[in-house]
Amino acid sequence: MRRAPLLIAMLAAALAWPIAEQFLPGSWSVLDAVKSIFIFAILGLALNAVTGFAGILNLGIAAFMAIGAYAFAILTNDLYPFQIGFWPAILLTLPIGALAGFLLGAPTLGLRGDYLAIVTLGFGEIVQDVLKNLDSITLGTQGINPLPAPVVPWWKPGEDGQGGGLGLVDLAEETQGAGPLLSYYLFLAFVVVAWLVFRNLERSRVGRAWMSLRSDELASRSMGIPPVRTKMLAFATAAAFAAFAGGLWASWLSSTGEPANYDFQISILALCIVIVGGMGSIAGVLVGALVMIGVNSIVLVKLFEWLQSKGLGASGSVFVSPNSWKYLLFGLALVLMMRFKPDGLVPASGRGERKPSGGRS
Amino acid sequence: MSLLEVRGVTMRFGGLVANEDVSFAVEPGQIYAVIGPNGAGKTTLFNTISGLYQPSAGSIRFAGEDTVEPFSAAVAARALVVGVATSVGLVVALNVEELWRIAIGDNYAYGEAFPWAKAAKDLLAAFPGLGAWWGLGVAVLGFVIGLGASLVLWQRSRRTPDRIARRGIARTFQNIRLFSDLSLIENVLVGMDARMRAGFWSCLLRLPRFRAERESSESDARELLAFVDLGDRAEEVAKNLPYGLQRRLEIARALASWPRLLLLDEPAAGMNPSETNDLMRLIRRVRDRGVTVLLIEHHMKVVMGISDRIMVLQYGKRIAEGSPAEIRSDPTCIEAYLGKEEHG
Amino acid sequence: MEFTSAEVFAQQVLNGLSNGMIIALIALGYTMVYGIIELINWAHGDLFMLGGFLALTILGALGLEEASGPMAVVAVLVLLAASAGFCGTLNVLADRIAYRPLRRAPKVSLLVTAIGVSFIFVNLGLFWGGVPMEVFSGGIAAAAPKDFPALVPSRNLLGTDDGVGFTLRDLLVVVVTLPLMLGLWWLVARTRLGKAMRATAQNPTAARLMGIDVDRVIGSTFFLGGALAGFASVVYALYNNTIGFQMGYRAGMDAFTAAVLGGIGSLPGAVLGGLLIGLIRAMSDQYLEARWTNALVFAILILILVFRPSGLLGMKQREKV
Repeated sequence: MRRAPLLIAMLAAALAWPIAEQFLPGSWSVLDAVKSIFIFAILGLALNAVTGFAGILNLGIAAFMAIGAYAFAILTNDLYPFQIGFWPAILLTLPIGALAGFLLGAPTLGLRGDYLAIVTLGFGEIVQDVLKNLDSITLGTQGINPLPAPVVPWWKPGEDGQGGGLGLVDLAEETQGAGPLLSYYLFLAFVVVAWLVFRNLERSRVGRAWMSLRSDELASRSMGIPPVRTKMLAFATAAAFAAFAGGLWASWLSSTGEPANYDFQISILALCIVIVGGMGSIAGVLVGALVMIGVNSIVLVKLFEWLQSKGLGASGSVFVSPNSWKYLLFGLALVLMMRFKPDGLVPASGRGERKPSGGRS
Repeated sequence: MSLLEVRGVTMRFGGLVANEDVSFAVEPGQIYAVIGPNGAGKTTLFNTISGLYQPSAGSIRFAGEDTVEPFSAAVAARALVVGVATSVGLVVALNVEELWRIAIGDNYAYGEAFPWAKAAKDLLAAFPGLGAWWGLGVAVLGFVIGLGASLVLWQRSRRTPDRIARRGIARTFQNIRLFSDLSLIENVLVGMDARMRAGFWSCLLRLPRFRAERESSESDARELLAFVDLGDRAEEVAKNLPYGLQRRLEIARALASWPRLLLLDEPAAGMNPSETNDLMRLIRRVRDRGVTVLLIEHHMKVVMGISDRIMVLQYGKRIAEGSPAEIRSDPTCIEAYLGKEEHG
Repeated sequence: MEFTSAEVFAQQVLNGLSNGMIIALIALGYTMVYGIIELINWAHGDLFMLGGFLALTILGALGLEEASGPMAVVAVLVLLAASAGFCGTLNVLADRIAYRPLRRAPKVSLLVTAIGVSFIFVNLGLFWGGVPMEVFSGGIAAAAPKDFPALVPSRNLLGTDDGVGFTLRDLLVVVVTLPLMLGLWWLVARTRLGKAMRATAQNPTAARLMGIDVDRVIGSTFFLGGALAGFASVVYALYNNTIGFQMGYRAGMDAFTAAVLGGIGSLPGAVLGGLLIGLIRAMSDQYLEARWTNALVFAILILILVFRPSGLLGMKQREKV
């Protein structure tokens, strides 16, 4: 496996980061922000399955993220009668997302690629509109909060004379000590699970069917691959994991935020992650998430903070806010990558060097 | 019963008639060749048989059944279900806030247990009261849209390449169409997909069924590659394969699904004499494995050497059909290829 | 003042048609580029937006915000010419720099590139709003929509103050869009360039073999399409009195839906589609709820694509094997 060294290196770095962070100056405490890299890595893996493997350009993945976030919120927040808690809710985002993907895909997956892309774009906008307009259910622009954090089994210290032992820890309450660390590693674990899911699919008949459709749909169909059903699998799986990422996002922020937060920018950010990292390349997507979110949320912010500390530019002007350069950043990333490195930074490994199903020969 | 029956097939593209009233039959176990000058409509005929085009007129029957999916009770039932679902969905969607209020908003009190049964009852009771005349209109509209969409989409999918392939017809292409980024063995495995059973969950969770099928499918694929003498290059990427070998891979891929009928579109194109001999031997071996072969070919040596029957097309029409000996001496065919004989 | 329901309806039809003409202009640019290189130029809507920003800048720079009467007419003409030229040129540049190198690349790459260009344009619009000019309110709140001066007053030409209003603005729409559409029709049907465009759209290889400079034809198409967007932007700004850096999305979506509805690649289809979308939006705003209009337009797009993908006036496309 050619990509193994890269993946192992990334995993090791991710595992070691919290420890490394202790040795860096205070302003580099980005543990919490790195969780957003993890969430977008999952989103990127999802988009990669539908766009990178199956070749369906989905420009509205943010819609499914929104559906997942709001589903999670409605299932857990005490404004609603469900209140099923973190774990059932986050797991339910998967089938809910898949159902949403199915409903959108059923009438549209037979369309030509570029039409379908615009349809997914429109869907992204419509979901936002719907969530905003149905404010008696979704609270519209207010957002639903607070939302639960994960509850994990961990060692509880003894209190009031009773001995400590293994118990359930609500990470919303544990803001010191082990809490943030547990939360970080839990999110990392989610990324690993998502990675495993998509890797298993990639190296199986499902993944091969997707890739054959992308490579040459006509030939693929002439081999008997049913196009709509196969595309639907990709579409729904991507929607499921996008929803899952959305639920995690909402849990992390303890709020859904407003529907406008799940707009075209998010979809394009996810697209950049896939394209910059490498379409169809799982390792590439992880690198892409690191690069895009890292630059977007961490490097850019630090850069502008530094610029401001040097007295450059009055705050308030549009040119010195990192947010106002995002569009340009994304746009350039897409145009330049398509022009010069369409296979991404970490191209999908040449299939010739791998066993087709990753099995022992 | 013939394996393939083509009756009166006409293929029109706008004003151009590519095939006109072509009829022939292929018996199981035959090697049947379709020949004719360029532009005679041979590849168009193949494309029509394999489902890429739908005949403007005529019918194509495979193994006794029409290749067009007939309208059935199942199709009607599905359309009705979709219609009802769309109808209900549309009504709910247009009234979702009110329904939510009735079922949940009015029944939910913070801190108290939620009366699920009552909520369900309230919800169902609310439906008749939704929006009087225009509520019914919406329901009807939704039903019509759902039913119509289901039928329209079905109509477009009644005769498609994947359906026909799954019935047992496999093919190669005149301009080779491999999956260039996949390896040789992966190409063959895609061809085998029609026979494979491991489902989505099986693959995702690496269940025993997946593992077992992976073993058997990979060994079958390797065997097929060996059958076309590409066994030692299984893991190479298809686009790196030299042109002459790409055809063989296409054949291996087509055979992977154990088709009953194999369509070969100019398999000998660009081959030198020794490769042509290998090809002829290969096609005979394919036939001996129980696969019926229908081929388009220009190489007369191949055509005359291995065919059981030949059909000649010119300007989209069938001008002759018979055994190689008959075709060789048929004056119409000679004229078609060589032009009229001039008498001094 | 009470309006009869017939008057309300008529007014909405008028509004719908006026807005529809603007959408049609944008849709024409979309469909022209699609017809010739099969690219859905997603940046087209944002090009339209930039045209509006240019117009506002010119007004501010020349101090013509308060112009009225003959001066206003001159100002409008200047704006139309400038925006058209600017948008046309920008479109050609985008083609040269971003799309042309990808002529042989898969469609997906082109579409992604177009999205990238769209985003770059959007950011340009955002920064433009931050330019410290008075017309941009000094450059603070760059993201907020900008007021566009009312050079064309909304005086009702039908005289009375109640009933249906056909204003000077509606007249402007007609006076600008009709000649443009006729001119475009004449150009495509009667001139050599138009013939070359049609030939290239049908079969670029054959066109090249016949001696047509395909790249130049494509460039001309981009210019024309962009110019149409530029004209549309000025009319829109004068009609609605506002521009904003995010207005390209809505305009692009409406124009794309219009082009598909009419039959993508078909010029009369784009016009028909534009008018229909304008009418639908007006009716929806009035008789349903404005907040659901976008969803309705989207639903219509889906319905067309499912039931009649070639649109109302388009032709069935067949893939050659």
